[in-house]
Amino acid sequence: MHKNNNPILLKNIRVIDPSQNLDQEMNITIKNGIISYFENSEKNIPLNENDFRSINCKDKILSPGIFDLRVYLNETNNENVTILKNAAIKSGVLKMGILPFQKPLLDNPIMIEHLIEKTNFNNDKFFYPYGGATKELKGNEIAELGLMAEVGAIGFTDAPNCIQDSLVMRRVMSYAKMLEKPILQNPEDKSLAGLTASNSTTIQGEMNEGEVSTRLGLVGIPSCAEVIIVERDLRLAELTGVHYHVSNVSTKKTVEVIKRAKLNGIRITCDTSPPYFSLNELELSTYDTSFKLSPPLRNEEDRIAIQNAIFDDTIDIITSDHKPMSNDTKILPFTSASTGASGIETLLPLTLNLINKSDVSIMNILKKITLNPSKLLKVKIPKIKSNEKANFIIFDPNEQYLINKDFLQTSPTPFHGRPVQGKNYMSMMNGEIVFDNIDLL
Amino acid sequence: MNKIHKINKKPPPIATLNSKNLLSIEGMNKLEINSLLDRADYFADLDPLKIIKTLNGYVILNVFFENSTRTRVSFELAGRRLGAEVINISVDKSSIKKGESLLDTANTLSAMKPNLLIVRHPESGAPKLFSDYLNCSIVNAGDGRHEHPTQALLDALTIRRRLGRIEGLKIAICGDILNSRVARSNIHLLTTLGVEVRCIAPPTLMPKSLENLGVNCFNSLKDGINNVNAIMLLRLQNERMSGTESPSKREYYRFYGLDEEKLRMAHHDAVIMHPGPMNRGVEIASSLADNEDRSLIKTQVEIGVAIRMATIEAVYNAQK
Repeated sequence: MHKNNNPILLKNIRVIDPSQNLDQEMNITIKNGIISYFENSEKNIPLNENDFRSINCKDKILSPGIFDLRVYLNETNNENVTILKNAAIKSGVLKMGILPFQKPLLDNPIMIEHLIEKTNFNNDKFFYPYGGATKELKGNEIAELGLMAEVGAIGFTDAPNCIQDSLVMRRVMSYAKMLEKPILQNPEDKSLAGLTASNSTTIQGEMNEGEVSTRLGLVGIPSCAEVIIVERDLRLAELTGVHYHVSNVSTKKTVEVIKRAKLNGIRITCDTSPPYFSLNELELSTYDTSFKLSPPLRNEEDRIAIQNAIFDDTIDIITSDHKPMSNDTKILPFTSASTGASGIETLLPLTLNLINKSDVSIMNILKKITLNPSKLLKVKIPKIKSNEKANFIIFDPNEQYLINKDFLQTSPTPFHGRPVQGKNYMSMMNGEIVFDNIDLL
Repeated sequence: MNKIHKINKKPPPIATLNSKNLLSIEGMNKLEINSLLDRADYFADLDPLKIIKTLNGYVILNVFFENSTRTRVSFELAGRRLGAEVINISVDKSSIKKGESLLDTANTLSAMKPNLLIVRHPESGAPKLFSDYLNCSIVNAGDGRHEHPTQALLDALTIRRRLGRIEGLKIAICGDILNSRVARSNIHLLTTLGVEVRCIAPPTLMPKSLENLGVNCFNSLKDGINNVNAIMLLRLQNERMSGTESPSKREYYRFYGLDEEKLRMAHHDAVIMHPGPMNRGVEIASSLADNEDRSLIKTQVEIGVAIRMATIEAVYNAQK
């Protein structure tokens, strides 16, 4: 404990803060939770270095904590909140948007208030709830968007459900526009994404439609089921003027449509998550249910398009789309197994992996997990500046290792055994150290 | 009576498999497939009373999560003829409703130390899941829309015995290919053995990118069966024939039901096959189904037992 209260001196650390367009190596001290920094030069190191917990941080990066745009909590209980919080701070995520799909649903102001109260942490807000766009997320009736906004809902979405009905979508959008909150859509045309027999039993699609689904005998979801909804929504976004945000872009066609819409000046942003720029449908060849995701993993052409869309800024945000599932729901035949995977603990390294794949700057990549989400949701993230409270993470961008599911606190991961680089070593929130492995650096 | 073509004069050895499981035809090579066909060919002509019961004490559980009569009886008879103990377990929906997970059921059965589980399940990939967690051998007796390996093997042997060869033939598979595990197993098996495979289905029942599996796809039955040596018909389920995948039974029959007239497009002594149970007047004209010169439907069932004997024996051998 004592150690943590000592002032800290971080020597030769590379500070990257996208909100100030700052990327510079410097020496930093943190005293009583307050940052002071110095331009880098030996003489600026404080004379009384022995009073500090002094760490050589050459080649390490200090940046604002990750703002994870979309996370499923599953249930607002102490256990879930603690697990998620611990997994997050260890992994460098210091703010996150909580999706309304949980037990009970966040589709009314009382539940929003309850979640905010329950999750207030370190005198700082850590969890930012979305409100359900429609009652019970069923896509039929508008939820109490105004009342939810009043108590702190940061945006609206029915995720993982997609609002199918055009009129409902129009109404939700016009309300969200009035409240100046974004509307997030997980685009998937439900009627295209499965098989309906005449006795009106529907079989949900299980994976991307193509050669692999044909070989495996699984029900395919055509990739156009995604872009069809986006194209419709864009017309409605134009009509209503709302800030429309597409969640989990997974196909090449969707990227093309969004790119065009941006050129046409429509208020649109979008995100994707690591599975869609790291993996493709071939992973499912052994019926491994940890790859059962929504939207489904697409083909290699789509994967490359998603990756390129991150580099050319068509995709604004990278999020974990964290949806932990118990192993019991995954050790089942593919059709019966649950959909979703954990992601918050692997978000930073998988995102940093992108840096090796292009000449994209690390600043630009960090923007997509810090500044851009905060802009979308209009939630300020603290700057890294002298006399500001310490709110940041310190990570080694070069450390290489294999993701090991046994070391993760949430499950399942589709990335077990995969080589990545980049590891968080320290998280500070509101002037306090909340995760500290820095002596291992 | 049509002549039966025999490829082997001497009794062939026990078939060799590269795995102790038979989960799919996809991934099997020509040698494995032919060794199963040769051995089954030999069993098909043996007097059941003269078969040496080499599998005394071997325990087989027939675990069927889906109704089946012919496949279950066929496996049971095959096991018994080899001297194994065969126990049938119909896992009815109630035990699933009680909340027991599939793996719990499997582990319970496994605790009784069977040597082989023969699994039929309505979900694709379920036998693979069993094989990942259990030590005994697993034979797939049909999983969802995925595969039905022994059906494809018995189809191939039926054709070989009738036409004398498989390689170089033209064979059409016609019907609900999208939902058919029989079609998938047959596609993999026939393409592996060098058959020109033609898949015929209305566009709504044709799976995406099927041609990547090495077959030619046709929407027209007449074009598809042009000069083929064998036609494999697939069952079309009733619920798919009233405005969903097909507009009506009569429209389906008009374009895809096999009758004497359409059959003229095929090779002059082309044979007709069906995995059963068939819908007379939907996939096939009733008179054709009963035409013993053309229809091998009964022979398929006979050969089924021999194929399953060869399979059980090969799996037993691979376990050693």
